[in-house]
Amino acid sequence: MKRTIIFTVLLLLIPCTSYANSIDFGTKATQLAGEIIANPAGFFYEFQQDLETTTPLPPGKTYGFQTGIFPTLLPATYANLSGKYRLHGEGKISPFLPQLDIAGGYWNMIATKIATEQSKDISNLDFNGYYLDLIMSSSVSPKIRTFYGYKYSQLKASLKLNKAVDIAGAQVTTFDSGFKDDFLIAGIEHITGINKFWSIQVNYGIKEQVLASKISWYGKYFEFGLNIYPEGILVIHPVLNFHLNF
Amino acid sequence: MKKTIILIVVLILLFHSNSSATTGEGSKIFSPYFDMTLSEGAFIPSEGNFFSGGNINAQVGLLTKVNPSNSIFGLYNLNYAGPGFQPQDSKQFQERSLSHGFNIEYRRGIIERLKIRPGISYSKEYRRTGANEAWENGLYNMDSLGGQLAADYYFDLDRDGILTFQYLTRDVKFPNYTDLLREFQGAGYSSEVSGGLQDQALNHISLRPRWNKFFGGLTYVWQDYKNERVIELNGTYGGTRQRDENITLDFGFHHILSIFEMYPAISWTMHKSNQNYLRYKYLGAVSSDLLSGSSDVTLIKGNYNYNELNLNIPVDLLITSKWAISGGINIVKRDYTDRPPRDSNNTYDFNSRQSNTLTTLSAGIRKRLNEIALFRINYSLIVGSSNNTFEKYLPYNYTGNSISIAYQVTY
Repeated sequence: MKRTIIFTVLLLLIPCTSYANSIDFGTKATQLAGEIIANPAGFFYEFQQDLETTTPLPPGKTYGFQTGIFPTLLPATYANLSGKYRLHGEGKISPFLPQLDIAGGYWNMIATKIATEQSKDISNLDFNGYYLDLIMSSSVSPKIRTFYGYKYSQLKASLKLNKAVDIAGAQVTTFDSGFKDDFLIAGIEHITGINKFWSIQVNYGIKEQVLASKISWYGKYFEFGLNIYPEGILVIHPVLNFHLNF
Repeated sequence: MKKTIILIVVLILLFHSNSSATTGEGSKIFSPYFDMTLSEGAFIPSEGNFFSGGNINAQVGLLTKVNPSNSIFGLYNLNYAGPGFQPQDSKQFQERSLSHGFNIEYRRGIIERLKIRPGISYSKEYRRTGANEAWENGLYNMDSLGGQLAADYYFDLDRDGILTFQYLTRDVKFPNYTDLLREFQGAGYSSEVSGGLQDQALNHISLRPRWNKFFGGLTYVWQDYKNERVIELNGTYGGTRQRDENITLDFGFHHILSIFEMYPAISWTMHKSNQNYLRYKYLGAVSSDLLSGSSDVTLIKGNYNYNELNLNIPVDLLITSKWAISGGINIVKRDYTDRPPRDSNNTYDFNSRQSNTLTTLSAGIRKRLNEIALFRINYSLIVGSSNNTFEKYLPYNYTGNSISIAYQVTY
């Protein structure tokens, strides 16, 4: 079976090879670089979404911790920690009330600290962010939960220079940028085995019309994800997070 | 304000869907509905650089059964359509749209075999031509508000035989739309002269039978523009307002024969518009004879009228209960009844009529991940051909390759 699939995939890829020569990666790289320069906060915020925990705690767990490993800690040097706490267990007070979790986290970019220490021109460079979310979840069958939520998310970037630099005729000594939005979250989770979950969700930023979809496989310790930012610069992010739930 | 309303409606839907869910499968009062499709692909056109694009469609709904013959269905739909290959005469590859749709439908059983479904709906759509344009500023951003009346007659309960009649009406507004040229020309006497030109009243009537997984229908859609007027044969706007009409016939089925899962569909559409088109060959072109066909300014009567055939034949080969190999062909052929094609110099050829064909050949793999989810990887070869070779603004003759991955979840 696997051979058939591999063979089929190869067959699918053959027609594309004839077009490989027509692809101009140099132009594409320049275009991407231009998009990052035009909206740096948006670009770095996508990495923040990679480390944000927006799935409910597994049934029976009260609290948990998470840290993003890839592409957040490595290679983006986002030192980060998230926490999650169950406010209400599903059906505990009343059978009509869903599980309610509160979660939040903070990150700070280590590379900016190193840059500040090593540069004579930079007085202070700070790159950090935080988020807070509320997730409601409830079972629609023994193996399936739907979850919905709200998330407030913010990224802040500030730069202070020791001496002014000329940018397009303006003398610049400080630079402040950032991103913040209120998000609505909707997703579905499927239990695939003991301590094995699969989920898919959409995050929608109401103010900035930001869209993100996350597909995740997670177990007792690790979460493997495929985050898709259709309007982003790097559209697909493979993600690896480490978590512990108690 | 609208965002607040959207937020409140979504939260109400979400709360109810959760509260219903906790009642478990045994609950007959609330039934949640959840459908999400995500896809992301790479597109390699024969002209220009490669690009990526995707689609997100998420539907969250709730069916509330008040009693056996009365129920209410609420549905929220988020749809994002990213860059991708497009049929000729439609839009640029890089265009993208984002829409929110809200629909509330009351379902009432009149007699055992007859059900009526009145409803209201509101939708808001954002469009932009590229990632560097703000969603709020899209020229074709649209608000739509309206209602519907549908009736279902169950003529064969054993084989799911239903005849559905539906009438729906929409008040469609394009708040940002303007005609810059007309605004410039009319700036002296009115600043509003070019606003609201796309605003329209849209009506839709359809009759659709369905039986034993065969389906078909006859649909009639007409759009009455509120402000846009028709260009007369003398090249000026007259007093008649624009009116567009579509008549569509379609037929298809979804059957599994042995290891073949087939869901082909064919449709034929006749589009009519009373609007004409004035072609300026270059900026500042002037002509006194608009109908000669060779003038720099040429009027094409019935420019937008066409007949379109859409044939879609997808087939899935079910190898195992989880794995399937899929393939298919889709052909869209549009023949304009009055519009002549143009050559690369923007000159009309009145000896023929414009004809566009878009053919898509696709092949891929489908895997059922679990009870509710599917994963697809798909390759498509797209061939666009037309006898119109004036491609300064939109491509008509091109070849493209795309590879995409897609997830689909339905509960």
